[in-house]
Amino acid sequence: MEPFVFFGGKGGVGKTTVSCAYALRCARDGQRTLVVSTDPAHSVTDVFDQPFDDAPQSVEGIDGLDAMQIDPDEEVTRHLDEIRQDLSEQVSASMVNEINRQLEMAHGTPGAYESALFDRFVDVMRNADPYDRVVFDTSPTGSTLRLLGLPDLLESWIDRLMHKRRTSIDLFEKAAVGNNEPRRVMEGDPVLARLQQRKAFFEFADSALHDDAAFFLVLNPDELSLNETERAIATLREKDLTVRGLVANKLTPSPDPDEDGRGARYLRERVETEAERLETIRSEFDPPLVAEIGWRSAEVKGDLLADVADELDIETAAEPPTHV
Amino acid sequence: MDLADRIDAFRQILEEWLRGLYHGMISHPAYEKIEKEAEDTEDAFILACFPDAFGIPSPVSYYTAELLPYLEDEFESWERRLWDRGTYLERKGQQYHF
Repeated sequence: MEPFVFFGGKGGVGKTTVSCAYALRCARDGQRTLVVSTDPAHSVTDVFDQPFDDAPQSVEGIDGLDAMQIDPDEEVTRHLDEIRQDLSEQVSASMVNEINRQLEMAHGTPGAYESALFDRFVDVMRNADPYDRVVFDTSPTGSTLRLLGLPDLLESWIDRLMHKRRTSIDLFEKAAVGNNEPRRVMEGDPVLARLQQRKAFFEFADSALHDDAAFFLVLNPDELSLNETERAIATLREKDLTVRGLVANKLTPSPDPDEDGRGARYLRERVETEAERLETIRSEFDPPLVAEIGWRSAEVKGDLLADVADELDIETAAEPPTHV
Repeated sequence: MDLADRIDAFRQILEEWLRGLYHGMISHPAYEKIEKEAEDTEDAFILACFPDAFGIPSPVSYYTAELLPYLEDEFESWERRLWDRGTYLERKGQQYHF
C-alpha cells in the first residue's frame, strides 16, 4: 500500500486513536513509521504519555515508531520570521516598515493557517526517506479537505502570476530606449525564480497526494458522522482522491444475553440502531468498512492501543514513494 | 567650402532634425506607452499577489509574501502610482501629448 496514509473525519470521532493504533501496527510489522499530528490539542502526547514537538522523536517502548506534532501557529510564525530575515538582507531600512505591514497582513489572512499546515505536510512527505510509512492524523474534515484541494488551486494561481510577471518584464525590456538598461530583466529575476520554486513544490504535493497517499475516514455510528463522511467521500472523489476505507469507531458493546436491567436494555437498543447504521455503511457507501472498534471505558493508550491496533484490518506493507 | 560640402552639412543637420522629430513624435511616445503598459501589468501582478492590501483575502498571499523581499522597487512605485492615479482614464490619458 501507499507509503503515506491519511486519517480524516469529523471532530471527536477518534482520528488520533485510530492513527496511532495503525502506526503502532505498522511499527510492529517492522515498518519504520512516523505518525504526524496537526492537532493543536496535543492528543498524540496523551496517547503515548510522552511530549512531542515538531521534530520526529521516537516513541518510548515501541521500536521503529516516531511521532511529531505540528502546531500551525508556530509554523506561521516561523514562515514570517524567515521572510523577515530575507527582508532585512535585501530591502533598504526605510522600506522595511512599509513592507512589514504588508507581510503581517498576509499572515493574518484566513488561509495562512492552512497554508502553513500544508507546507509542513508536504515537507514531511518530501523528507520521508528514513521512514517506510508516514501516518497523518489530520484535523477535522472541513479544513483537511481544503488542505488537500490546495495544490491544484495554487498551481494555477502561480501559473497566472508567473505569466503576468513575464509579460511586464518583457514590456520593460522592450521599453528600454536605445542602450538604456531595462528596468527589469527576465534573466535571473528573483521573483520568477521564487515563483518557479513554489510551483515545483505544489507539483510535488499534487503528485504525492495522488500517487503515494491513501485516505481513510474515521466515523462514529451516528447520523451526523455518517452524513459528514458521505460528503467527505464525495469531495475527495471530486479531487480525484479516493477513500480507501472507513473505520467505525466507538461502537457500543452489547450486554450479555442474560442481563435485563435498564442499562442492558439501553445498550441492546443502541447496538441495534448502530447495527442498522453499519448496515447502511456497508450497503450504500462505496469504500469498504475496514475496522469496527468498540467503545473503551478507559482512555485508549498503552495495551488498549495495541488492542485497537489488532482490530484494524488495514494492510501495513508499505511501497516506496514514487515521487521523491 | 564648396557646394558639395555645404549640401553635405545641410543633409547632416536635416538628418539629425528628422531623427529627433521622429523620436519625439513617434518612437519616444511609443516607448513611453510600452513602459506605462509594463507598469500597468506590474501593478496588476502586485495586486494579484497582495489583494489583502485592499481587504480581499487571497489564498496565495501567504506564499506571495515570500516575494516581498525581492519586490522593494516594485512595491514602492506601486504604492506611489496608486496614490497618483486619480482615475484609470487619467492614467491612459497621460500617454497622449496634445
